[in-house]
Amino acid sequence: MESLRLPKDILMGAIKVTLTGCREAWIENYRGILEYTDKQILLQGKTCQVCFEGTRLSIDYYTNEDMKISGCIACVRYL
Amino acid sequence: MIRILKYLRGYLRIRVRGFSPERFMNLCSNRGILLWDIVREDDGYCMYISLKGFWELRPIVKKTGTRVAVLERYGLPFFLPGLMKRKVFVLGMALAVIFWLWSSGYVWSINLYGNYRITDDMFMSFLEQNGVTVGMNRKNLNIGELEKRIRRNFPLVTWVSAKLDGTKLIIDLKENDVPPVEDDEKETAGTDLVADYSGVVVSMIVRSGVPKVSIGDTVEAGALLVEGKIPICNDDATVREYRYVDADADIVLEYGISHTESLPLDYVKKVYTGREKQSRYLRFGSSRLSLPRSKPYLVYDSLIRESTPIVFKKLSVPVAMGICTYREYQNVEYKYTDEEAEAELTKKLNDFLASLEEKGVQIIEKNVTISMYDDRWVLEGGFMVRGPVKKRIPTEKVVIGESEEDDRQ
Repeated sequence: MESLRLPKDILMGAIKVTLTGCREAWIENYRGILEYTDKQILLQGKTCQVCFEGTRLSIDYYTNEDMKISGCIACVRYL
Repeated sequence: MIRILKYLRGYLRIRVRGFSPERFMNLCSNRGILLWDIVREDDGYCMYISLKGFWELRPIVKKTGTRVAVLERYGLPFFLPGLMKRKVFVLGMALAVIFWLWSSGYVWSINLYGNYRITDDMFMSFLEQNGVTVGMNRKNLNIGELEKRIRRNFPLVTWVSAKLDGTKLIIDLKENDVPPVEDDEKETAGTDLVADYSGVVVSMIVRSGVPKVSIGDTVEAGALLVEGKIPICNDDATVREYRYVDADADIVLEYGISHTESLPLDYVKKVYTGREKQSRYLRFGSSRLSLPRSKPYLVYDSLIRESTPIVFKKLSVPVAMGICTYREYQNVEYKYTDEEAEAELTKKLNDFLASLEEKGVQIIEKNVTISMYDDRWVLEGGFMVRGPVKKRIPTEKVVIGESEEDDRQ
């Protein structure tokens, strides 16, 4: 698999999180939202769940492909 | 760009409440419905959704058991129906566009550049004869043909270019700067210079012709001064033939003239009463549109001030607005005072003298008297002047044979 040099996120079905400081996060390869409040956003991935914690969290946009979270992110936890 | 697209397609702000709004969002994303600016509010979520997406919400709402409320609507699809309610406004807009499209199919002004010797009036009347007028349909204008005709009709024009710039017809032309060559040697029947007044010859320079008088001679009116008949003699001093020329000479004649001017004792002067009335009008081309109005005063003159709004000027549409001011006046009779009469008569005299000077006449002496008769003022003047001789008459033809016979007799 290594030698093929294919993107791992697609092959492994892993969630891809891009953080810009603590203000913004772009997330790809997710299944859906499990919980959404301004303190916590819980996302369902193919293999695991990801929890964003912080304050004044909001979803800027949400499509099938990717989503953007903005606010003050304090912690990213994998469950 | 994305904003404009969103605006054109329309979008809504909705609030989602119910058991599982998260599931609602997941289903939306699964079906490819875009949601943005999702904000948690006390008991639900507020978000934006495209209009197209909104129509696809029904099954999702049923499935998730949530309730969707529309908070606000944005975009053209919501704005247009509101606009359509204002029928007159929409109609006006449509008519304006139709008028604009219709009027752009016509020529609304003709501009002419580069003509010096051919006057605008000459050119315009030529264009009119060829069916090119302000207000003609652009389709009927054949520019190539027009250029050809201009060149054919005005030999003076060496180059011409016509073009349509919007509703403006611009004609650029160039005239031939080189003056046409005149034939110098013309056959002429010959003319003589004769005195137009009785007087004394003061100076004389003869360029062509035979002088018949000399400086200091006193001549009668009509006397021959320079003859346009030059005799060509044989060896024995007899005349073989005559060559006829236009006599040409600078001859200054000193002579006396008299001039009288008269002025009635009284005159009529306009005295404005200060009462004015105004009426406004609209002018389209040559027809005027104004409110019908009866004669405003018994005696009046009118002052017209007209202007074209800058929009029409730019569009070259011949529409103008104007104000017509009627001013009432009375005809009042006045009598000239001595000073006024003198001033008026002197003015008339000066006009006369100026007209003399224009003709090249020089005034040597003048003797003017102003007197009042029963019914008028009269100015009488005697002038001694020096003026050029310009009067010409055709030269008398002489057949050689006849003159020889005359000699024998």
